[in-house]
Amino acid sequence: MKKKNNNKFMLPPNRQPFRKLTRRDFVQASAILAGAGVLSTFNGLPVFAKANMDELMPMFAKANIDWKQASGTEIVVGGLQHPWFEKHSPFLDSFTELTGITVKHEIQSDTEYVTEIPVKLGGGSTTPDVYMVWALGQSVAAGWLEPLDGYYNDPNLTDLSWYDLGDVFNSAKAFPVWAADNVTYGMSVTAEAETLFTNKTMFDKAGLAIPKTMNELYDAAVALNTGDQAGIVLRGKAAGDAVTWPGGGFIFSYGGAIVDANGEIAFDSQEAMEAIDMYGKICRDGGPIGIGSYHWFECLTEFMEGRSAMGLDSSNFATDFANPEKSKVADTTVYGAMPSAPGQTSAKPNMWHWMIGMNANSAQKKAAWLFMQWVTSPPTSLMTSSLGLATTRKSAWSSGDFTDAFGSQAAEASLSNLSNADGDLFKYAWFHPEAGAILDQVAIALNSSINGENVEKVVKKAADKARKAIS
Amino acid sequence: MKFVNKKNIFIILMLLPSTFLLLGLTIFPFVVGLILGFTDFSLIRPQNGMRGVGFENYIEIFTTEEFWISFKTTLIFTFFAVTIQLILGTLMAVLLHHNSKTAPIMRALYLLPLAVTPVAATFSFRMMFNPSLGVFNFFLESSGFAPLAWLSKPDLALISLIIVDIWQWTPFIMLIVAGGLASLPNEPFESAKVDGAGDIQIFFHHTLPLLKPYLALAVIFRIIDAFKTFDIIYVLTGGGPGISTRTLNLMAYRYGMEYLELGYAASFAIIMLLIIILFSQIFLRKTNIYSTKVARL
Amino acid sequence: MSVNYLIKKIMSYFFILLFAVWCLFPIYWLLSTSLKTNLQTNSKPPVFIFKPILDNYKLIIQDFDIWHIFFNSLIIASGTTFFSLFFGVPAAYALAKFKFKGNTDFSFWILTTRMAPPIAMLIPFYVMYNKLGILDTHIGLILAHISLNLSLVVWIMRGFFEDLPKDIEESSYIDGASYFSTFYRISLPISRNGIVAVGILCFLFSWNEFLMALILTDDSAKTVPVGISKFVGFQLIKWAELAASAIFMIMPIFIFLVFFQKQLIKGLTMGAIK
Repeated sequence: MKKKNNNKFMLPPNRQPFRKLTRRDFVQASAILAGAGVLSTFNGLPVFAKANMDELMPMFAKANIDWKQASGTEIVVGGLQHPWFEKHSPFLDSFTELTGITVKHEIQSDTEYVTEIPVKLGGGSTTPDVYMVWALGQSVAAGWLEPLDGYYNDPNLTDLSWYDLGDVFNSAKAFPVWAADNVTYGMSVTAEAETLFTNKTMFDKAGLAIPKTMNELYDAAVALNTGDQAGIVLRGKAAGDAVTWPGGGFIFSYGGAIVDANGEIAFDSQEAMEAIDMYGKICRDGGPIGIGSYHWFECLTEFMEGRSAMGLDSSNFATDFANPEKSKVADTTVYGAMPSAPGQTSAKPNMWHWMIGMNANSAQKKAAWLFMQWVTSPPTSLMTSSLGLATTRKSAWSSGDFTDAFGSQAAEASLSNLSNADGDLFKYAWFHPEAGAILDQVAIALNSSINGENVEKVVKKAADKARKAIS
Repeated sequence: MKFVNKKNIFIILMLLPSTFLLLGLTIFPFVVGLILGFTDFSLIRPQNGMRGVGFENYIEIFTTEEFWISFKTTLIFTFFAVTIQLILGTLMAVLLHHNSKTAPIMRALYLLPLAVTPVAATFSFRMMFNPSLGVFNFFLESSGFAPLAWLSKPDLALISLIIVDIWQWTPFIMLIVAGGLASLPNEPFESAKVDGAGDIQIFFHHTLPLLKPYLALAVIFRIIDAFKTFDIIYVLTGGGPGISTRTLNLMAYRYGMEYLELGYAASFAIIMLLIIILFSQIFLRKTNIYSTKVARL
Repeated sequence: MSVNYLIKKIMSYFFILLFAVWCLFPIYWLLSTSLKTNLQTNSKPPVFIFKPILDNYKLIIQDFDIWHIFFNSLIIASGTTFFSLFFGVPAAYALAKFKFKGNTDFSFWILTTRMAPPIAMLIPFYVMYNKLGILDTHIGLILAHISLNLSLVVWIMRGFFEDLPKDIEESSYIDGASYFSTFYRISLPISRNGIVAVGILCFLFSWNEFLMALILTDDSAKTVPVGISKFVGFQLIKWAELAASAIFMIMPIFIFLVFFQKQLIKGLTMGAIK
């Protein structure tokens, strides 16, 4: 995953027909019609999207499989409240039209979802048939996921050339592959990377340039941390799913690791400790008071309200930042690469692909697979990305509608961060079966660093606890 | 008198449905929990099945610093939350009792914290506690005070949680005490007033002793529930900052639902159960709720 | 009217009002959030004066799911209340009025059913319900809620019954009435208010219970707390819908409370029989 790819991704020739459909002139045409009051929205979709979906239906027919082979069944797709649901729900009717399969969504808040799934799957439930996977190691070790390689390679179920795996980001493909047995247990559906956001107005006013290194980041944060605004917002909450993700990016960028390639705890190395120390310093000196309890929500809100000069979090925030109905900084956000650590040429931002997996106990595996294939297929990705979803396909990311919805500068920055990210470093830690215990300790270490405690002491203690947990 | 007489049959019939229901629903989870506590079963190692490890889990729990710290945190939280709720709830019940014109509407209003959906209330608090955007700091700053890091400073976080618990549950205590007040006979008070006793004296020497059973009832239920508090802690602080708001229940949840170590979590739960049984036994005996003074047939 | 009295009255009203503000503020905040636009919701400085919009309410009222969970919760809370009382009140009576071996221990055992930390119950309950086929049914959740509430009903009603004046019941026995008819004809009506009070507590507990509802229901029997929590997501909190739903749900409860609160307090009257 060492690709350094700064040029726009070129579409393979046979994708041209799609491009034509999403061209801006189409948008303009429907905008004119909409302005004339003839068309506005259809089922809440911008009209060009619905029209496009209709146009795209024949594209599905090009796939050399029988979409209707599981017709009449119903599947349950479970997950937490997430843009992925929001952005593909409008198209479910088309899916049912295509396949005859009805899809039931079961959506919850993240706490509820994370509680409910182990209980259900641990209790042997057959639903949800497809579910959003957040801890691959846990799910695989517990035997909840159906291996997918067989489905990919079954010509009756999947037309690989139509599906075009080459169009999917390499990191997205590698993500759900379980290292121990090289089996694919899931399918990536989104792509995000740790990205720097800056408020251009505040930077211009202070006459500062966008930081490129960690030290510059610290200086800028401190300089911009006035009473009216925070210098930077970062997650600080001491929970494994909160501060650990951005903090992990720091650790990786300094040349450290949370868990190394041998499965050993590694975050008490010199490099990692430096990273944890820097994270704490930046938060303390450049962040708002109370940053120690910040989760993504507080970071997103604060930056969106124009109360912070910088933020360092998931590229997915761009969709909200760019929305003038929610965000006060839609016109003034500039996205950048994650700053690099001293001695390194580039950072290793953290990254994440949300995955969906198939319940090993599902009673509708064929139908589930057809859904999974459909929702990540080239046509559907084009449609969901037109609504702003950060999909896993290069074709979708470079389509005009996506860059309109997401922001082209945001897309560029996110892609560059994504390509700099080291997926393996992430997987060693986050997909470890005992990831919960490990990430929890890392969270405590980072949070204690933010609170100004002695970094060496807290990190050693946390690392020891983590070692004990995985022994 | 033989056993099968009218009285005993009556007693058994009255008790049977509840017994049957409770036994049926709680015996299985209890037995499962008990057994699991003696194994190292984990959902992420299902192939090992349920391997008995004797008292290993228990020994390990009692010898970790983490257990004792969360125990202490739980104690502090429960003690302060319940005590303050008790005082506040009793105070409000008394005030309303003596101002009965406004009482009806006020009581309904006071009950709202109990009636609003917890998840909405908790998120409301999360936003209000927000250091830079929240309303609480807005009021503080407008009055010239420095803003507080409500949920991110170690000790302050626990205080914030106690505040939320007090907000939610004071109405419960108020309700029970209000009923108690309404039922007190009037004579002792009138004679005391005639004797020239002041209001505060009357309250402490006459009212309070008579209210004891109600207070004890309210407190025992609150202690049991406060000990198990989960939602507000999870949503507002997640156990942080650091580990300053990690209570026993939060730890049990982490081990059980996040790390999927069901055996270990079960031991944790059993230990919690034993602790609360011990406390309630002591409490009930000291406050003498099992009053033998009541004439029974 | 002495000055002393006036001061006391003013102080009382002051505290009463203060406490009301304390209780109501977070709810007021939810209410105002439900009337704001997304941009105004988390503004700094906080927006107190604004033009209210009803869009959020329109949004949730059109959401079929909101009505569905509302009625589910109504059914489940009512069923829980009815059966908790139906089973718990007789049990409380027996425990209060009769001295028998094991009375104390049995009462304590009932109390312990409330003590188990929820984590210990989640998976066993799920497995149990799955085997019995009552997952995602109203009756299933009602049973679970009853088991959680019985301790409250029994203990509070036991206190009530203990304080009933014995003369009325004794005269009933002297007249030759059976235990049951005394209970049914004399003791119950006198305690009617107490029963209503405990019933309201049962209802509120069941209405707001979350963990069991989460685990034991799916779509058909989903309740309000679980349904509303779907508005809180990862990288996405739907504040408008969350606040509007919360206020929407609390309206009927508030009306219900005002209506019954007279019963409520008179109800908790342990024994002041006129």
